[in-house]
Amino acid sequence: MKKSALFSILVIVLLIPATLYLGSRLSGHWYYLTSTLIIVEIMIPFFLAFETRRPQARELVTIAVMAAIAAASRAVFAFIPHFKPITAIIMITGIAFGPEAGFLTGAVAAFASNFIFGQGPWTPWQMMAFGIGGFLAGLLFHNRKLTAKPLWNAVILAVYGFFSILLLVGPLLDSCTIFTMGTEITPAFVGTILLSGAPVNVTHGVSCAATMLLFSKPLLEKLERLKTKYGMMEARRDGV
Amino acid sequence: MAHFDIENLTFSYPIGGKESLSGVNLSIEKGEYIVLCGKSGSGKTTLLRHFKSVLTPHGKRSGRILFNGKPLETIGQREQAAKIGFVMQNPDDQIVTDKVWHELAFGLESLGCDQKTMRLRVAEMASYFGIQGWFHRDVASLSGGQKQLLNLASIMAMQPEVLILDEPTSQLDPIAASDFLNTVRKINLELGTTIVITEHRLEDIYHAADRVVVMENGKISAEDTPRKVGALLHRQKSEMFAALPTPVRVFYESGAEGECPLTVREGRNWLTETFRDRPLSVTAPDLEPAAAETEQPALRMKEAWFRYEKESPDVLQGVSFEVPAGSLFAVVGGNGAGKSTMLKAVCGICRIYRGSVEVFGKSLKKYKSDALFHNCLAMLPQDPKSLFVKKTVREELEEMCGDAEKRAAVADVCEITALHESHPYDLSGGEQQRAALAKILLTEPRLLLLDEPTKGLDSFFKQKFAGILKKLQAEGITIVMVSHDVEFCAEYADLVSIFFDGQILTTDTPRRFFGQNSFYTTAANRMSRCVFQNAVTAQDVTALYHINREGRA
Amino acid sequence: MKSDAFGRFHPAVCFLYFVGAIGFGVVIQHPAYAAAGCIGAACYYLVLRGRAAWKRVLSLLPIFALLSVINPLFNTAGSRVLFFVFGRPYTWEALCYGMAIAAVFVVMMLWFSCYNLVMTSDKFTSLFGNLIPALSLLLVMVLRMIPSFLRKASQIQHARQSIGKSVGEGSRISEKIRHGMTVLSALTDWALEGSVVTADSMRARGYGTARRTNFQIYRMTAADWTLLVLIVLLAAAVLLAGGTAAAYTPVLSIEPLTWGFAAYCLYVLIPTALHVKEAVLWRISISKI
Repeated sequence: MKKSALFSILVIVLLIPATLYLGSRLSGHWYYLTSTLIIVEIMIPFFLAFETRRPQARELVTIAVMAAIAAASRAVFAFIPHFKPITAIIMITGIAFGPEAGFLTGAVAAFASNFIFGQGPWTPWQMMAFGIGGFLAGLLFHNRKLTAKPLWNAVILAVYGFFSILLLVGPLLDSCTIFTMGTEITPAFVGTILLSGAPVNVTHGVSCAATMLLFSKPLLEKLERLKTKYGMMEARRDGV
Repeated sequence: MAHFDIENLTFSYPIGGKESLSGVNLSIEKGEYIVLCGKSGSGKTTLLRHFKSVLTPHGKRSGRILFNGKPLETIGQREQAAKIGFVMQNPDDQIVTDKVWHELAFGLESLGCDQKTMRLRVAEMASYFGIQGWFHRDVASLSGGQKQLLNLASIMAMQPEVLILDEPTSQLDPIAASDFLNTVRKINLELGTTIVITEHRLEDIYHAADRVVVMENGKISAEDTPRKVGALLHRQKSEMFAALPTPVRVFYESGAEGECPLTVREGRNWLTETFRDRPLSVTAPDLEPAAAETEQPALRMKEAWFRYEKESPDVLQGVSFEVPAGSLFAVVGGNGAGKSTMLKAVCGICRIYRGSVEVFGKSLKKYKSDALFHNCLAMLPQDPKSLFVKKTVREELEEMCGDAEKRAAVADVCEITALHESHPYDLSGGEQQRAALAKILLTEPRLLLLDEPTKGLDSFFKQKFAGILKKLQAEGITIVMVSHDVEFCAEYADLVSIFFDGQILTTDTPRRFFGQNSFYTTAANRMSRCVFQNAVTAQDVTALYHINREGRA
Repeated sequence: MKSDAFGRFHPAVCFLYFVGAIGFGVVIQHPAYAAAGCIGAACYYLVLRGRAAWKRVLSLLPIFALLSVINPLFNTAGSRVLFFVFGRPYTWEALCYGMAIAAVFVVMMLWFSCYNLVMTSDKFTSLFGNLIPALSLLLVMVLRMIPSFLRKASQIQHARQSIGKSVGEGSRISEKIRHGMTVLSALTDWALEGSVVTADSMRARGYGTARRTNFQIYRMTAADWTLLVLIVLLAAAVLLAGGTAAAYTPVLSIEPLTWGFAAYCLYVLIPTALHVKEAVLWRISISKI
């Protein structure tokens, strides 16, 4: 087993429970610090795996391009208020290049765009939320043939995109608010925050679905063309 | 021992099957300055990419490449990375990091240099290339010329023995281009670095070359000193002859004998010598007829003022000019002067805050946006790629117009019929330009705006493009073009204006316009003004030469 | 941004300082500490931004008030009931707690505002370049691409506009979305094509042939070390002195202040003090001329 994999297991088995225990012991109010530490600890194995693999130039560039497109995509749709295609692009990257690439693209896109919009307590949460979005999409759909009809595939991805934002990415983003602003994490408080975040999450989900519907096929084709024309992202599988 | 030895290299790409290189033999000595020229698709880039293993394309290959006497593939990647520098065409895409200092250090970081070495080398490079002033800047804030200089400096930081440059200045304006090429020349002279360079614009480098290598259809068709290659290409009636610097072309087309001039200075001396103590029967070509006063100009801009932001300086400062219907109107001027902004103001993309724009006699404000861009006005952007949104050229055209016959006609005019099924990004620069032109022609414009249409085109594509423009003009389309390309404007425009400091200064016919300038004019004019007046193209000079020589005889 | 004495220190020192400041700010809910944090962070932000900072600082006041009054609605613990809302008690202790949490939030926001101005991307990446070379290179590349993509996107939109293919204000939302997708698609094509060249350029300059090192444009000087030691000592003092605990519910129990509080005050005022010191020194040196 590789060293990085061993370390990842160590993190998940030891470090996270330890953080939870310490957090709960030292005081009842260290929610933000404890939760953020755990978020960071979950991300460490992903980053470490990437780091120890010493990625090829082409792989690095492709992930960078997708992350930058995702980060810049909001500006392209500036004329439609609240339309955010960023998650959809991250998910499609995950679908094209696998869960790990999806995670990295999401995390890096979030981190990099915060250099423009400002880092804050939300940074790790956004990295995690977008990263997991790309990761799950990759896990479910990478290298998998859905149906023979491209339109149906787009519809499936759109539905998936909508619900994954509503149920996973959106709530993860809202969790940051819960942990930074609450004195006591009661069901009523959590419910209120999630409910007040719902309109944003629904529009986010709808824009993701719309992007999936219209853009998933062309984008996947483009990435495919790049793979065949230049062998982008292929080097790793060849073991070069 | 030669620095590079290419022995009988033959190569073909997996798709297409045709040999891109066939039986190329070339030996390059240490410290040589070699100019490689040839038409687009003659195999120049393919050959250059064989000089470095990581860039070598996939395909079928035979023959050998020796670097310092050893087969290239036996030399480690690390050594190749340091010793063989490669500068590519597009200044933007080559840059990896976001800060100038970081980019300078990129190669050294990759090689795993220690801090001390890196500090010293980066400092050396920044000083040698005059980068200190923008050392801490964001890469995004640099001009194209600065970016390409940065690419060069970043490679030189690794202290390569050989520098390979693949059309490094095709995306730069002429001033930045000659600065860049002078720096390359300086590297060659001061450091003894071997240089292999391909270029479209040979005027700046041809004379400096130790050897010129001409490629045609994947073969080396000529290889000698610049003077001898000039003579050879003229004798062979090669297509490449048209790409040679003006003095060389004028010399051979005049049928003169003796030593061929390579630079404007030599050309000047040659003409002065030839016509010394010899009365001239005709000293100037006929001036073009003054533009007739048309009743309604296609475009009129009056006192137009524009700035990008409230606090920023004015880019257009009272621009006024008129474009007669049916003419090819060229606007020349320096980089960043605001020429492109002026075109955008004509389109309404940039909204002027004072003054007026009239298109075909009607104020821009009175056009509905749909009406303005349909059967009226269209603009070809500087980068034709900005117009491509589909997978094939066919779909690009279909997006614009449902009428198959119209599409076929336009494709025919632009000579892209054979390219219909290609992906727009797989086309060469000239083909992309024509495909983009076809796309905008499908809006059936009567006024066509072109932003730097000759940027990155080689002389053949330029001629072809000029031919298309003439055809369009014959159909009654008015063309306004902004350009750095003085030679192109002198040859093909009906009227030339100069844009400076936010204004259009003068407008005149090419001969009148360039004839009175002494710096900002064509090479033909600069070399002939000691003898003739108002001769602005190579043809003008050649014609005058013939008239006066034959007149004497 | 104004000239900033603290921001000119080595990024490692600045980063560590912010980690400490934000860390303490989040963890310590003692009212005195929270107030000191607010003042320290706000002062530094004013130093950094000048008059423009007031707007931001003042905009945090209503947020503070809102967070303070809302929290007791969800947290009903506490002994002194002020009144009832929807049949639930609204207690004095919960309100205090709410105020503490709100203050913590304000401190965090203020420190992050300073952080964003001081720790620019190049400082961050040069700091972590040795630790995580691949990721920091990835980050640097993304930061380089974003502005060039934005520029390209507007070029594409202009190109579409100049052939009559744009959407106006009156267009339907579906048309607008389609238009946006077309631009996005063209942008992606352009970006992916360029990425091939970028990858070539990286490999041509030896990427992947050795373990990458990281060019350090910043160097630790004696002054950096001094400040670093000061920061560490003060932080240790705050940790060791105690007296930072504060519980609000069910009953208020706030520890009395110790000398650790003095250390904390010094800590949060370091950047402002450095600024003042520099300003004074300049005055003196000018008056000498």
